[in-house]
Amino acid sequence: MKMNRLLAGAAITIPALLGLGSCHSVESWNDDIYGNFDALWTIIDEHYCFFADKDVDWAEVGARYRAELNPEWEAREFFDHCAAMLAELRDGHTNLISWFDVSYYNKWWSDYPQNFDQRLVEQYYLNFDYSSGSGFIYKYLEDRKVGYVRYASFTSGISDSFIDMMMLTMKDADGMIFDVRDNGGGDISNVEKIVSHFIEERTLAGYITHKTGPGHDEFSEPYPFYFEPATEHVRWFKPVIILTNRSTFSAANNFVGAMKALPQVAIVGATTGGGSGMPFSSELPCGWGVRFSASPVYDADMVLTEAGIEPTPGGAVDLDPEAALKGVDTMLEFAIEVLNKYAEENAGNKGDAPSRFILPTESNGR
Amino acid sequence: MKKTPLNRFVALVAAAGMALSAFAADSGAEEAPLRPVLSAYTLEAGGASCTETYLSPLHYSGVAFALTYERMQSMRFNPEKWVMRLDGRLSFDRTTNPAGNASMWGLDLDLGWAMTYRLRLPHSLTLLAGGATGIKGGASYSARNSNNPVAAKAAWTIDATASLIYNTRIGRVPLCLRYQAELPLTGIFFCPEYGELYYEIYLGNRRGLVHGAWPGNYFRLDNLLTADFRFGGTILRVGYRCDVFSSKTNNIVTRDITHTAVLGLVSEWISLGSRSRTALADAKIISALY
Repeated sequence: MKMNRLLAGAAITIPALLGLGSCHSVESWNDDIYGNFDALWTIIDEHYCFFADKDVDWAEVGARYRAELNPEWEAREFFDHCAAMLAELRDGHTNLISWFDVSYYNKWWSDYPQNFDQRLVEQYYLNFDYSSGSGFIYKYLEDRKVGYVRYASFTSGISDSFIDMMMLTMKDADGMIFDVRDNGGGDISNVEKIVSHFIEERTLAGYITHKTGPGHDEFSEPYPFYFEPATEHVRWFKPVIILTNRSTFSAANNFVGAMKALPQVAIVGATTGGGSGMPFSSELPCGWGVRFSASPVYDADMVLTEAGIEPTPGGAVDLDPEAALKGVDTMLEFAIEVLNKYAEENAGNKGDAPSRFILPTESNGR
Repeated sequence: MKKTPLNRFVALVAAAGMALSAFAADSGAEEAPLRPVLSAYTLEAGGASCTETYLSPLHYSGVAFALTYERMQSMRFNPEKWVMRLDGRLSFDRTTNPAGNASMWGLDLDLGWAMTYRLRLPHSLTLLAGGATGIKGGASYSARNSNNPVAAKAAWTIDATASLIYNTRIGRVPLCLRYQAELPLTGIFFCPEYGELYYEIYLGNRRGLVHGAWPGNYFRLDNLLTADFRFGGTILRVGYRCDVFSSKTNNIVTRDITHTAVLGLVSEWISLGSRSRTALADAKIISALY
């Protein structure tokens, strides 16, 4: 009888005690100016991934900005103060999102020439007459013997059959110009979708890593990821020139990094804007959102492309503003000329064509 | 007859057959008890408090709903002592952040099986205590997040479970009060690494996703209090559930606490099989709960 009472008592009291004492603690902050500041600083401190690469002393930054806080500030002043602190990260993927404004760090592109004028291309090269869909516009420039493809954003869904048709349309071209200038990124899964039409076999596309804990140096082993060829679809192995500018960012930057490793591809234009850290989102007690780089992506050579990807040797070209006024895109002209010349040089010996598409430079004499 | 190994085997089988026949004849003399199947369908509604640090460091609160099915039956091999329970629960919650400008949705499915030993206590009390196992799958979704909008949940656990049951009457209405608790003791569960994107998992990195569970890193206490009122053939169930869940691994804390009111219908049914009317009248009925 005593045993039965003990069992009954245990059945009630043990679970009740466990229930009271077993929740894991979570740091919390007050919804005031200091609480929100501390929440923002802590979220970045524990999750941001480029402190070491950018040599940012976040503790020093936090102490400096916290000392300047004024409890009397209105939301606008506090927002600007926090945005200025985030700008110390020099990261285009870092935003503070409030109900009245979204902060951006713009210097990654605003300090550089734009090197792109969409109207210039559409008016003088496409004559406002082109095909479009799946986020692309394209045209086979028959008189220049090149196919022109513009992909302005990785946010649109992509159809393989659309890419098939696009490539078939320009099958007689000397090569393809794939223009990702001013492409600010979007859905990274679209990168694989496009690259799969340019590869013959399973191809190393890069490495990805992530934070394994709140410490600044707690990262996982870089994980290599591969792209599979679109074997059931049209694939392009003629020369390809990717046109880039400083506003080629985020998923577009990753796309350039993956394409750069392919033998038929050269990068022409300006260094891309980077943005190779996949962003995470979080929020503050006041309801503002915060976005920041959290998961670094490296290219196939295990090079971090957060600061941008340089053009292929011999491929650094800017848009000449004076020529642009006359209807000439000097970057596009350079790409067309290179593709035409390459086709001309290799016209008679297709079987012996160089295995890699190389841009002419002083050192290679081409 | 010569005693070959084959002859010895035939003799052994024959002896075993005769023994089994005799046992069967003896068993037939005492009719096996009837073991009604208890089926309960309940709806739950109440409040939820959720924290999922993979999505947000803030505590969310809001409403929770669930649809639950429970099936209980005394076991054939020892109906007085052993009771089996099967249950399934589909739960949904919608919670908002403290500022009220962001929502998180949660959807979970729990399926469980328990085997409990019945202990008759004084004062019409009954204790069911034993083991359980279950699988749980679901996800929390935050619409405001970009690359980390979802936190998936999956677990298989081996649990301890106990119910304290009190059968009484209010006037002429039979009433069954039950407090039931279930606590996972061990198992495995899914959790990404601290800052790992599901995109990386999609790319093929499966390292470190499955973790061993113990109450220190995967704690859940599902408390259920029910009162079953029998009105003739209809049993009305009202109750209260407090489901406390808290896990911490890879520095990711997931905490869901729901308090819900329970309302539903319970039925008990018996499979008569080929028993005669006389046999049924004499048969003992051993309910799982009542």
